[in-house]
Amino acid sequence: MQTMNTLLSLSDNLRTFWSYTGFYNAEPEHLIMILIGLVFIYLTITKEYEPLLLIPIGFGILVGNIPFNEAANLKIGIYEEGSVLNILYQGVVQGWYPPLIFLGIGAMTDFSALIANPKLILIGAAAQFGIFGAYIIALQMGFAPNEAGAIGIIGGADGPTAIFTSSKLAPHLLGAVAISAYSYMALVPVIQPPFMRLFTTRKERLIRMKNPRVVSQTEKILFPIMGLLLTAFLVPSGLPLLGMLFFGNLLKESGVTRRLAETARGPLIDTVTILLGFTVGASTQATTFLRVESLKVFAIGALSFVIGTCTGLLFVKFLNLFLSREKKLNPLIGNAGVSAVPDAARISQSLGLEYDPSNYLLMHAMGPNVAGVIGSAVAAGILLGFLY
Amino acid sequence: MMTPIFEKALLIAAIGMAGIFLFMAIFYLLILALDRLMPFREEKPAEDFFEETGTEDEDN
Repeated sequence: MQTMNTLLSLSDNLRTFWSYTGFYNAEPEHLIMILIGLVFIYLTITKEYEPLLLIPIGFGILVGNIPFNEAANLKIGIYEEGSVLNILYQGVVQGWYPPLIFLGIGAMTDFSALIANPKLILIGAAAQFGIFGAYIIALQMGFAPNEAGAIGIIGGADGPTAIFTSSKLAPHLLGAVAISAYSYMALVPVIQPPFMRLFTTRKERLIRMKNPRVVSQTEKILFPIMGLLLTAFLVPSGLPLLGMLFFGNLLKESGVTRRLAETARGPLIDTVTILLGFTVGASTQATTFLRVESLKVFAIGALSFVIGTCTGLLFVKFLNLFLSREKKLNPLIGNAGVSAVPDAARISQSLGLEYDPSNYLLMHAMGPNVAGVIGSAVAAGILLGFLY
Repeated sequence: MMTPIFEKALLIAAIGMAGIFLFMAIFYLLILALDRLMPFREEKPAEDFFEETGTEDEDN
């Protein structure tokens, strides 16, 4: 009799244990998301697409989609208040991580190309049409205005800005927006070149730009201070991102805070990138991510990249109408206005070299590229100002 | 027929793009002013500086 009771108790315990396992709680959606995570990791390792972000995101997708007994209140899920993942995720939800990443970006960015040829900054403005174009398309597809704003910001081709904006405007779309933004940034070498060829003539692609002038250290130091003041007075809602960007840049350029600059562009940005990528990946739980809305977000995100690329290219052609022959700009640098630093600028360079092996465009393309970072953060500030 | 939401979206987009261009244009002018006020001058190499002023060791 006692043996029978022991066996029954053991059987009950085993049944309870089984009900807690991932095998018992697995739904087809979990498996689909785990498969997506594995594809991310595979593509990142084999193709080296944005590895620093897509590996944490891919692994986060795996962690976030391990099925478990949610009713048991184990406090392990990212959406369960008080769980470790939930606490780390607060950096995304509350918008702490993106400004810290901007601090690091500022500490590693050289604005010389922009200061040397300031009209390039306007290309960084023109490429932001992608954001507002996507915003209007999203509205037409039935999204609410705040959701449309969060989706539109994908066109800024800037992960931290996209996360910061969507965490404020539409937190429920954050996973889809972030994954979409980072995926398309990784796919910039695939998305942009066809449109760069389509909108430029062979003659335009061969334009050689004048070498940029030398920029003094004083200019480099004053640039972030001016940038901060301009941002603070014109677009205060862009301050968390742009304030930190310019702060990081001052740490780099001042010449007296080398240790702080190295920390900001090294250990700090690496740590925050790990936390940001991992928690964003983990936030894509099947129940919240596998929806028709997510597919729509991906489709609009792709369109926003295309619009931004095309308007950047066309704007350079427009500028060229007013420039003398020796000051003309090569339209192949127009794509770099969408941000996606530095991949977009590298594409300008590689496409330019394809048509003239001695025409190096990288330095020129870095101007609109860093202007794109500023432009997308200003656009985020404007969207937050109107829709938050 | 444009819906009020679409009309508002167009307005936000127009104001947004105008705002970005305005921001960038002011930035552009500030950089031009910076170049005018503080043009690049060749900075003296460190050795020249020490030749002129003497090193700390020499001073001591």
